[in-house]
Amino acid sequence: MCHYSSPIIVSNCFLYLPLLPPLRILIHDVQELVDQSAPKDTSSRNQIPENYNYTQYHPMEEIYTWMAQIQKSNSELVTQHYLGETVENRTIYYLQISQPSDRTKKIIWMDCGIHAREWISPAFCQWFVKEILQNYESDPKIRKFLQNLDLYILPVLNIDGYIYSWETARLWRKNRSPHLNGTCYGTDLNRNFNSSWGTLGVSYNCSSEIFCGTGPESEPETRAVVQLIERKKSDILCYLTIHSYGQYILTPYGSTTEPPSNNEELMHVAQTAAAALREKYGTSYEVGSTSLILYSNSGSSRDWAHMIGIPFSYTFELRDKGTYGFILPADQIQPTCEETMLAVTTIIEYVDQKYFPGGAMMLTSANLGLSLSSLL
Amino acid sequence: MPGFRAALPAALLLLLLSSFPPAAAEQPPWPWTPGAMHALNPSDRHASRAAWTALHYSNYHEASPSTLRALRQVLKATVKIIPGLGVKYYLQFTTEGYINGENAGSCLATVLYLKKSPPEVYIKCAHTQDKKQIQEEDNKFYHYLHHQTKPIIANNIPDSHGNIDRAHLPLWGLAIAGSSYIMLEKSTENLGYFMAQVKAVKQRIRKDSAVEFEFIVLLHETPTQKIELCHMHLIWTLSPPLRVKYICTSDNHWLEDGSGQDYGSAAGLFHEKEGNF
Repeated sequence: MCHYSSPIIVSNCFLYLPLLPPLRILIHDVQELVDQSAPKDTSSRNQIPENYNYTQYHPMEEIYTWMAQIQKSNSELVTQHYLGETVENRTIYYLQISQPSDRTKKIIWMDCGIHAREWISPAFCQWFVKEILQNYESDPKIRKFLQNLDLYILPVLNIDGYIYSWETARLWRKNRSPHLNGTCYGTDLNRNFNSSWGTLGVSYNCSSEIFCGTGPESEPETRAVVQLIERKKSDILCYLTIHSYGQYILTPYGSTTEPPSNNEELMHVAQTAAAALREKYGTSYEVGSTSLILYSNSGSSRDWAHMIGIPFSYTFELRDKGTYGFILPADQIQPTCEETMLAVTTIIEYVDQKYFPGGAMMLTSANLGLSLSSLL
Repeated sequence: MPGFRAALPAALLLLLLSSFPPAAAEQPPWPWTPGAMHALNPSDRHASRAAWTALHYSNYHEASPSTLRALRQVLKATVKIIPGLGVKYYLQFTTEGYINGENAGSCLATVLYLKKSPPEVYIKCAHTQDKKQIQEEDNKFYHYLHHQTKPIIANNIPDSHGNIDRAHLPLWGLAIAGSSYIMLEKSTENLGYFMAQVKAVKQRIRKDSAVEFEFIVLLHETPTQKIELCHMHLIWTLSPPLRVKYICTSDNHWLEDGSGQDYGSAAGLFHEKEGNF
């Protein structure tokens, strides 16, 4: 937290004053001055659990532990929040990465693991968190967008399904809700949202992998996401949902070929993101609306997010294109995550630029005092 | 031509063949006159689905684990409805090695989806790999498999984490080649397939020059997202044709025979390719 009354410079503490005329920055990087003058205190630096291997797939127990550790060793930036509970009564948590500030920030939401078998998806969410925290100090781009944006990251939404894919059936997709007296299990959570629910690309039969559930938002996992996003929707600028496989960045909609109102901009940003991704290893992602380049489907979370007003809504389908499919080798976790990181940060930076143009003034309380006095 | 389930009228066959320029080099735009032809956006799902159908045909017919191709990118696609017959796709696409991911050249193909039979495919690919090298690699695979004194038995290729033992790579390659036959037969304009995993494989040691395997393979079906389980019996003699018999959980026969697990009793219910063996 910032202590404005204190004359001592508090690191990582910035003020944004939208009503003041542009101020001249006298010292561009006060942090650097502080670093040079004070001895390094590593205990306050952002820490990642040293022995966590981000290039391996982790079972749910380890992900729970990881989330708690991440919050513990990065408590000034990260808080773990309760989202809801799964069918089998497991707690769903998301991580909030938020630079300490008085302001209400806008929000970037990213969820992973809606479909159990898409293991690269939770792996990416974990990687993303690690990268942000590890590079927060050294990367001005990250510090810049975190001035205005909070990141809400949900590493695994379909926890029951994920555990089931580890313990019983590697290629399980749905959640684990029982139907027909326990003779059939699972709703496809990505057909369960209230976006033209139950109309296209679904099955009403529980035994299908695309069973849309007994009604829109019939599943507790769906409701957990919906409740939070509904509550915060006026602050959410971007909804990202991570899947595999196919190498696509998908724009709304799946339930109709009618383009969304901001289609041109959505496509342009996605294409820029795909280009940034390709720079890393040459991996090519296709960009377009689900209904045109993939298949028609209703009830997807991405469609729902856009329909309730979140302007930038994308589905990512990560590597590969079918060679290994869902069972992507662990040695591809790193390159997949590295390239995808570039795409996601491209989108975040665009959103930051669009809604907070001209760059925020980076001021410390002492700096502000200096420059204000020069104006008076 | 092998692999065509329905006999083509000679005239149609001639039309097909005469419409194709010589296969030697990369080809310029298709010589068809417009009419009922529809240009497709290359990223259209129907185009990539049709390209994969053509690749399943090729991957099966080459009977060569070292030549397996995966789709890289569709460059050009057109489609024509042939009244009373079906829908025909004309495609140009680039490919990569299925196992090594390296550029494997571009292909021209036509895929005719029929109403009641499996698709009919014509495909011609530019050769980027050294023929001798391919032969050597296949020979290596073949000899490794043929010289086993104890039958190879394995499960989960790849394993849950995507790992494949080096010793199991040839098995994976053979499984893809054999599954390609199954996937070709099942592919339609609206249903596509990938081989997701080899659940189990068991070798049958033979005294002659062939290698013989029983597989259980899992196929991923799109857009239904279904995982199809198929029992596949395969015989490889290095050169085509690859002999495949299969039965999948969704097939009607499976339900008729109570013990789908028992290979012996299910033998008569398998879809056969290339007659008795």
